[in-house]
Amino acid sequence: MLNRDELERYSRQVMLFGETGQEKLKSATVVIAGVGGLGCPVATYLTAAGVGHLRIIDHDVVERTNLNRQILHWDKDIGVAKTESAGEKLRAINPDIVIETAKVTIDEETAPGLIKDADVIVDAMDNYPTRYLLNRMACKFGIPLFHGAIRGFDGQVTTIIPGKTACLSCIFPKAPPKEIFPVIGVTPGVIGMIQANEVLKYLLGTGELLENRLLVWDGLRSVLETIQVERDPSCTECSHIKK
Amino acid sequence: MKVRIKAFARFREIIGGENTVDLDDGTSVLGALKRLSAGSDEFREACFDREGTVASHVVLMINGKRISGKDRETMVLQDGDELAIFPPVAGG
Repeated sequence: MLNRDELERYSRQVMLFGETGQEKLKSATVVIAGVGGLGCPVATYLTAAGVGHLRIIDHDVVERTNLNRQILHWDKDIGVAKTESAGEKLRAINPDIVIETAKVTIDEETAPGLIKDADVIVDAMDNYPTRYLLNRMACKFGIPLFHGAIRGFDGQVTTIIPGKTACLSCIFPKAPPKEIFPVIGVTPGVIGMIQANEVLKYLLGTGELLENRLLVWDGLRSVLETIQVERDPSCTECSHIKK
Repeated sequence: MKVRIKAFARFREIIGGENTVDLDDGTSVLGALKRLSAGSDEFREACFDREGTVASHVVLMINGKRISGKDRETMVLQDGDELAIFPPVAGG
């Protein structure tokens, strides 16, 4: 049940999807893997929307080079754990939800405990090895994975429903080479917004998700294009999962 | 024959978003990519690995359909085809 303050806070979106929809958001647990360029906008908007339980995972501390894009981290936070910095701001935006933070590295050992009770996983990472691990966990536990990645003015985003859609390994069997990537803050802003929008639609059960569609953002030309993708019958990660 | 090359992200920065190239009949995907490389060292470095094969992370599509395995190099292009080249991005 929503209390009077919650009904007031969310009144403009309850107009869209009713109290039932808001209660769906309130009862959801969302894991946000990484609270950098993508994780900051994703966490901000899911917090404001009233997703009841956010688990924010990041092992880094805030550096000055983060500040052009990681909008929850401010100049005063340099040297502070990103989870602590983000948690402080998110709790100030919405004190009515649970913001759980975990300053840990996502690896084979920690991942199951961090992820298995989640309704949704948001991939806001900056490297493919951890993304592939999240994908493996998503396939193992049957949890949707909302993928986003950026470089420069370019971004890509897709929604992975294990057993139904192409998984990350079907779409990108091989990781691109590691690099210190150039980026302008608006790019993860755009892609993070689309990821958050996908999460909300999934939790509400409304609209059409980016299933088997890779959305590609060209910020220099302000063009969004869709690339159709499909499951790889020989995929090492998801081919064993039946539809 | 004429083949349209549709480039995304970094490839687009190097060769432009859409190009139409004249190729000999029977040209393979590899042949088309080598043709593009001939005009740009930067493209060659982004598209090929040190062994001279198409870099494994580069996504290739013909007429919107993903190609994989040995087709990535050997599939023969047809007049009017669109070859799309997409490099996944990794940042977050």
